[in-house]
Amino acid sequence: MLSRKAIAGLIGAVLIAAVVAACGSSEEKGSSTTPKGEGLTESGGFKTPATESLTSGKKGGKLVVLQETEFEHLDPGISYYNLDYPVVFATQRPLYSYKPNEEAESTPDLAAGPPEISSDNKTVTVKLKEGIKFSPPVNREVTSEDVKYAFERGKNPNVANPYEEAYFAAVEGMPAAKGGPIKGIETPNKHTIVFHLTEPKGQIVADALVLPLSAPVPKEYAAKYDKNSPSNYASYEVATGPYMIKNNSEGKVLGVGYFPGKSLTLVRNPNWVASSDYRPAYLNEINYKIGGTVTVGEKEALQGTNIIDQERPPQTIVQEAAEHYKEQLQISPGAGDHYIAVNNKVGPFKNADLRRALWAALDREEMDKVRGGKLVTTVQTHFLYPGIGGFEQAGGLKGPAGIPYNENPQGNMALAEKYMKEGGYPTGKYSGETITVVGARGAPASEDAEIVNSTLQKLGFQTKLSLPESSIAYSKYCNVPKEEITVCPSVGWIADFDDPQTVLNVTFNGKFIPPVGNVNWSQANNPKTNEMMDKAESIQGKSARASAWAKIDEELVKEANAIPFDWDKQANVEGTQVLGVGQLWNSGEWDLSFTSLK
Amino acid sequence: MSAAEPLLRVEDLRVQFNTEDGIVHAVDGITYQVMPGKTLGIVGESGSGKTVGSMTVLGLTRYQGAEVSGKILLEGRDLVTMDDDQLRSIRGNEVAMIFQDPLSSLHPLYKVGRQLTEAILTHRDLSKAQARTRAVELLGLVGIPDPSHRVDQYPHEFSGGMRQRVMIAMALANEPKLLIADEPTTALDVTVQAQILDLMERLQRELGMAIVIITHDLGVVAEMADDIAVMYAGRIVETAPARGVFASPEHPYTWGLLRSIPRLERDRGEALVPIPGTPPSLIAPPSGCRFHPRCAYAQPSHSRIDPGLEPLAGAPDHFAACLLEPQLRRGLWGALAGGATPEEAKESAGYVEEAPEGTPVP
Amino acid sequence: MTAYVIRRVLWGILMLVVVCLTTFIIFRVLPTVNPAVLRAGRNPTPQSLKAIEHSLRLDRSLPTQFYDYLREILLHFNFGYSYGSNESVTQLIKERLPATISLTVGAAVLWIVFGIGIGVVSALRRHSYTDRGAMGGALLLVSAPEFWLGLVLLFLFSSSIGKFKILPGAGTYVGLTSDPWKWFTSLLMPWFVLAAGSAAVFARLIRGNLLEVMDEDYIRTARAKGLPEKRVVRQGVRASINPVVTLMGLEFGVLLGGAVLVETVFNIPGVGRLAYESISSSDYEVIEGTVLLAAMFIIVANIVVDIVYAFIDPRVRYA
Repeated sequence: MLSRKAIAGLIGAVLIAAVVAACGSSEEKGSSTTPKGEGLTESGGFKTPATESLTSGKKGGKLVVLQETEFEHLDPGISYYNLDYPVVFATQRPLYSYKPNEEAESTPDLAAGPPEISSDNKTVTVKLKEGIKFSPPVNREVTSEDVKYAFERGKNPNVANPYEEAYFAAVEGMPAAKGGPIKGIETPNKHTIVFHLTEPKGQIVADALVLPLSAPVPKEYAAKYDKNSPSNYASYEVATGPYMIKNNSEGKVLGVGYFPGKSLTLVRNPNWVASSDYRPAYLNEINYKIGGTVTVGEKEALQGTNIIDQERPPQTIVQEAAEHYKEQLQISPGAGDHYIAVNNKVGPFKNADLRRALWAALDREEMDKVRGGKLVTTVQTHFLYPGIGGFEQAGGLKGPAGIPYNENPQGNMALAEKYMKEGGYPTGKYSGETITVVGARGAPASEDAEIVNSTLQKLGFQTKLSLPESSIAYSKYCNVPKEEITVCPSVGWIADFDDPQTVLNVTFNGKFIPPVGNVNWSQANNPKTNEMMDKAESIQGKSARASAWAKIDEELVKEANAIPFDWDKQANVEGTQVLGVGQLWNSGEWDLSFTSLK
Repeated sequence: MSAAEPLLRVEDLRVQFNTEDGIVHAVDGITYQVMPGKTLGIVGESGSGKTVGSMTVLGLTRYQGAEVSGKILLEGRDLVTMDDDQLRSIRGNEVAMIFQDPLSSLHPLYKVGRQLTEAILTHRDLSKAQARTRAVELLGLVGIPDPSHRVDQYPHEFSGGMRQRVMIAMALANEPKLLIADEPTTALDVTVQAQILDLMERLQRELGMAIVIITHDLGVVAEMADDIAVMYAGRIVETAPARGVFASPEHPYTWGLLRSIPRLERDRGEALVPIPGTPPSLIAPPSGCRFHPRCAYAQPSHSRIDPGLEPLAGAPDHFAACLLEPQLRRGLWGALAGGATPEEAKESAGYVEEAPEGTPVP
Repeated sequence: MTAYVIRRVLWGILMLVVVCLTTFIIFRVLPTVNPAVLRAGRNPTPQSLKAIEHSLRLDRSLPTQFYDYLREILLHFNFGYSYGSNESVTQLIKERLPATISLTVGAAVLWIVFGIGIGVVSALRRHSYTDRGAMGGALLLVSAPEFWLGLVLLFLFSSSIGKFKILPGAGTYVGLTSDPWKWFTSLLMPWFVLAAGSAAVFARLIRGNLLEVMDEDYIRTARAKGLPEKRVVRQGVRASINPVVTLMGLEFGVLLGGAVLVETVFNIPGVGRLAYESISSSDYEVIEGTVLLAAMFIIVANIVVDIVYAFIDPRVRYA
């Protein structure tokens, strides 16, 4: 009676969708470091956010933005996805934010100046600018109470901010909060907010104030929406940035300026004062068209005029753009990395020499080729990536010196066998039980998995390779330690903001191995590096932190806790009449507050 | 009668089909005629070409890609060379046809009444209401009770016999001069068979039409037919007035057909004798006399010589195509009719086997 | 007949509950992505995971979740809320429905008209170039995935990126009431893509049926009556469509499945894309709502088809 074909069709769609979802969701973002090093300017002669001009735009005009994926969360208290960020940062003003061509140093945004961190590293004080107002219908001045409420609601289960626990746990009373007042957040006056910490972690707390959670939310207006489970404040959200999502007199944006799955319209925020902001906000109106397929959207951007696409273009489009539309292509470095997670806890890769052998044997250039080659990848030699503090100190593009297995980007089997012998396999080949390799379906992840699998076999491993849907590969296998997966061939990471801790800590510190949602995929638990990281968490000062974490990076390379192969660069395309400005700190996503029309 | 013109005269009719396996010579030069108001029975096994031959009369084999040659003269007009439109005005009008399987011969999705009125309206300029009245009348004529009610029913609501009555009613709709009935009773119960044949006879009397009845069962035509043509492998092998065929059949194939009729007067102990073997391929028919592979009395030379249809001495309206001596044939049939087996008949008739021809013995 | 319809409707409702349960199991029990995990980002703490699960009511037991879900539907006709926007599923679907109805009804018309038309012409000109061309084309269309075919058409004919810029491209759909002409032109390619596979299947079926039917005894009877060939063919077509009608209900399901892809390729904001998006974000209640809606359409379509069949084929009796 009910068509089996129809059900099969729906299930098929589910599977397709799962791939899409997974591809997207593994790439959340925010990030970076100090002066623009070699990694950041290397863009093959293409436009790069690192060197773009922020002041040459012309005021006015309407921009069309194509985005094939639906927004996830535009609520500043929930938003944690690089596709949402351009809208969030055009409409919301967190305490600090990044200029598009800068990912090392954040700029005071709602804040009036840099954060004051006490000498004991346990108090962070931020002064707010005066005269910043919420958009209609709230219309009143922003006060420190609004920032406080933003943090409080983050802990409300109806909002459930995804990273507050990770970066602000040191704030007194934060872990136990459920939406009510948090003891460690004080507002001595209308324009001052103070964070009292239980541990000396002032620097990381201060750095994390670039995340959208610190954008103010008017309690008297938002509280009624936050009572819903889940909160629907996003359907009524007000803005502090130069733009606001078009709304009606009650503030409703859903069905007015935002039609899920169809469109989103950004208009100027009448209460925004240009002199209070470093953003030029050239455009008058921005129209998002949501949905469709990336191939078509990117092509429309390339052949169109006042149009950009916010998605990552597929390889074919990048190639085409590089050959025929060079002016319309931007390549942004520092878009995270990919490495092979090898199980340090159980199985053969407990043995560091076997990990080194795999590193030596792996043809990293081949691994990168399937991801689009030199245009969008760089052979990875250590874990901190270009733009992140400590990258240069850890060896820059060449990587730490004196690591033989790191010196052959095309792989060296003779060297690999030497490590196998040192690891206790006199023939140079592994002999032992079959190991499990869990990759992800769909190129390029599946192709990387195949390369890793055959490299393992060359080293004598018997492997059982499976390639489930990407989301399942992560959430059911690679993120779950008790599954005891031996190799996850292409896990990726990108920092939330510019601090080396955000790249290395949760991914390699032995204290972060939760039973689900684990991202210390190798289950690295080396007492020496654990201790170094625990200490480095509390170090104050950017450069001191950079050198401390660079040393940790070197140590991870020496221990080969994971095998890195790809520093990602991100391509973005724009129409002929667009003077696009990409966000260096956000994978080069177009910054709507700086982009203009020619 | 001899002075009258035949209603239908078929001359040297040949029908071929090109198939992937080769050319099928379904009808291979047959000639017969039907006088107005008379009945011709065409008898033969399935695959003898009798159905194809009669469908060709109505031009129905054109739709199957048949190649037709020869002449089919209906009151002197040649149907073979007629164009589709002219032919269509004759079909169902001057010449009507009913088919073997009444179950599948009616359109399952249309009411019986509609199928009848459409037959009428195709050839008659009547109003729908008039056509319907005529349809009810026709159903009554063919003996369907409560016709004014039944006319609004669908074919599946009728029994097999009733459906054949509907087919007959449809065929009679325009009072044809000639009715071709292709195995009209084969698919029906024995008791129903008799009713249908009685009906046809009655209608023929009342309406004065000629009938060509095609059957594999000589018993069916025994009482109805004025003349009989026996077909084998696309040809007529014997034709004669009905009584001639039954009284003195001349062709061994006709003998076979006669001996396979169940008859009430037959002795209990006397077994029905089927004709041995199967009908031959019409793509590559046997050489010589086409019946020789199945003929108990064939001589070696019969596989070489193709007999023509020839009149019998003393019976100018009786033709047969057999290579056996007339004398011998009479002797053989005499013995067979008395219940002898072919071997006994050969012996009593003095049958002598000829020497095999041209078989070189090393 | 009435009893039959009532029985079919009751059976349909039971099917909906089964579909509801199946969808529930497929998405909430079998290995898919926990929406809380998706939402929690890359390095969730157990606390934040728990908080999110609580806010999405995923911390209750599965039977309780299912019971709550069913109860809300049955008592309040409330199909739940989107995890993303907190918008009611009923509202979301209501907004998206016109586009999907425009797409599927238009495609169904194309499918039936072209399926039958091409099938009949092919059968009547058996082995001609027309027949060979049509059947070759049909084979191609049956095997062409909607996604691929849609992209090919866009790259050929869309005004934004096509070789021949003659038709509105992806994302140009507007409602029928706001601009009928634009509505029509923007749906031409989607209609074609969605109808192509089904039309091709039907063309082949009709052709095969008609060839068989034209050899039937009752067609011979019709000819023997002297009916003009046109009317003979009409009787043949009438009979050859019959068995295909029962397949229409099934094919309608295939059409809805295809709508998911076509709406995605052509960026038509319909229920299919809503389903696709909700699946991408593991937005359970929206998924369940859209699947239920699709199931309901398919069930209703099948009941309608069966009733229609009873009318067009007098032999069918539903005792």
